[in-house]
Amino acid sequence: MKRTLSLLLVLMMVLSFGLTGCGGSTDTVDEPSGEEATEPLKIALLLNGTLGDKSFFDSADNGLKMIQEKYGDEVVTKTIEMTYDETKWRPTLEDISDEDWDIIIVGTWQMQEMLQEIAPLYPEKRYIIFDTSVDYENYDLGNVYSINYKQNEGSFLAGVLAAKVTISDMELANPDKRIGFLGGMDIPVINDFLVGYIEGAQYVDEEIKVEISYIGNFDDSAKGKELALAQYGMGADIGFNVAGQAGLGQLDAAKEVNRYAIGVDSDQALIFAESDPEKANLIVTSMLKRVDNSLVRAIDMHFEGTLPYGSAENLGMAEEAVGLADNEYFNTLISEDIRNELKDIEAKIMSGEITVSSAIGMSTEELNEIKDSVK
Amino acid sequence: MDKFIAIIFSVSFGYAVLRVTTPLIFAAMGALISDKAGVINIGLEGIMLISALTGVVVSAYTQSAFLGLLMAVIAGSLTGMAMAYFALNLKTDIILSGIAINLFGGGGTIFALYLVAHDKGISSSLKSLVLPKIDIPIIDQIPVLSEIISGQNILTYIALLSVVFVYILVYKTPLGLQIRAVGENEDAADSVGVSVRKIKYIALILSGAFAGFGGAYMSMAYVSWFSKNMTVGRGFIALAAEAMGGSTPFGTLVACFVFGSAEALSNSLQSLRVPTEFVQMIPYVVTVLGLVLYSSRKTSQIRKKIGSRR
Repeated sequence: MKRTLSLLLVLMMVLSFGLTGCGGSTDTVDEPSGEEATEPLKIALLLNGTLGDKSFFDSADNGLKMIQEKYGDEVVTKTIEMTYDETKWRPTLEDISDEDWDIIIVGTWQMQEMLQEIAPLYPEKRYIIFDTSVDYENYDLGNVYSINYKQNEGSFLAGVLAAKVTISDMELANPDKRIGFLGGMDIPVINDFLVGYIEGAQYVDEEIKVEISYIGNFDDSAKGKELALAQYGMGADIGFNVAGQAGLGQLDAAKEVNRYAIGVDSDQALIFAESDPEKANLIVTSMLKRVDNSLVRAIDMHFEGTLPYGSAENLGMAEEAVGLADNEYFNTLISEDIRNELKDIEAKIMSGEITVSSAIGMSTEELNEIKDSVK
Repeated sequence: MDKFIAIIFSVSFGYAVLRVTTPLIFAAMGALISDKAGVINIGLEGIMLISALTGVVVSAYTQSAFLGLLMAVIAGSLTGMAMAYFALNLKTDIILSGIAINLFGGGGTIFALYLVAHDKGISSSLKSLVLPKIDIPIIDQIPVLSEIISGQNILTYIALLSVVFVYILVYKTPLGLQIRAVGENEDAADSVGVSVRKIKYIALILSGAFAGFGGAYMSMAYVSWFSKNMTVGRGFIALAAEAMGGSTPFGTLVACFVFGSAEALSNSLQSLRVPTEFVQMIPYVVTVLGLVLYSSRKTSQIRKKIGSRR
């Protein structure tokens, strides 16, 4: 009984594919019957988490939507949420690699090792990994393209802005030259933000002090709020949160004590623009990590045949992969002088006149030295 | 070192301790009352999540924070009742029911959040309300004390009062006597005509109600939104606090404050550039130390009992 049923189902699926295929071809008689029209490019995005993080998983998903919109029938896209259950990640990546997807996109350092082991087994597939880079020296990864973000460059701008705000006579700024940094975990990617932030602040004024706290995870927004309140209590008048969902606690803290905040990854002022305008008014800008832009760029290059599989690229401001959110809050809260200055600095970073250090690959001693310089 | 002392003896530290401890007190009182009736409620974490979401959604749709709180507590009680139904009527294992509630709370709240707010992470698109902070009349005149004790969220005061409430309920009322009797020896209680099932139901419903207050505090006082898995283990810490406090209301309160202070300390110490790994360890080290102290005291008590019998 079960077998007949499954046979019937298979038959139905085959028929429906065939029929839709026919329907498609009757509509597109005008198209050239070359290779392009035969098979759409199938792209799968595997998220090792769930959507709704208001951070780079949402951004990656948005990138896929942009690709779908741009290429229409030429691509088939699918986002798969593997949830935060780590035991599901490897089997899902293996399953998807077994299926007929052409390009498989994964992200974050947590997927790096799995991909290094699985990608060589499927040499005909293409893989893209964002926000980290795989180890090309010790593994045969000619089919993997890695995207790193120069978050240190974007954070440099955030640091400049924070320093400008704290020494300014803005409404909620105090005379204490002290700014805050709220990180999720003490890991290289987060510290890369921190190093850029510190250097940006010091670029404006050597005497700036930075309060640095790590929440220890990316979930606990209540703890994020506690830590941020402690920072504001120590005299910081503006803080930068780099902690995903947990970092949103900082925004609540900012509202409670009426101080400024800088968001991260996505435009965090817009999250609260409608439900809590008072809070949105304190978020001067957000340091965006545009995973979406970088994925669209990668697929564009794939179609052109110029995407350098087998290597890693560091994307920064020039590729519109990082930058500050230019929204109404930024434009009303921040004076035009500061905004222009930020633009100048942005140009200097792009031209290479200002080089920003990176915490990725930096030794603990060097990092501690930088942290101690703003103690 | 001077800075360290300055942090600990600052008023904002005292204020933070109360704020951090509040959800632990509620959850620990929930753990205590069910423990007294001989049922261990490890579903506190899940119940808190369900209540936290209920509070946010109801307050957003009714624009009344107190209705939100009320519904959060009712949702907590109902979840406690559901647990009682599974464990007492359907005879499932109470620990497994608790685990099921925790898993349901973790996943179900995200699903419900997606239905209501079209978002899987945070409820920021809902205009939910927060419960007010209140000043205590006489205390707010006293210099230092006023800054620590007065001006806290109303739920912080309810949490402190709930300890007294639980004490009176458990030790001074006939119901409390029945609850303790069922917890000590349910067959004996049954033999004198106490309805064991009814008492356990009541204990679990009350336990759910307390966890409901704790959940409402998380989403309507501590922060102003619901986000997935926002309780992050506080329900379990409460269970530890209840065990450490020797299952007495005031002992549990003290244990909660120990955990709360350790947490607040680890939050404040970060700014001193003590290595983060060390700072983040503090609450857990305190937990282990507390449990060692508790169990060594307990074993020495048992030894004394055995000794006196001889």
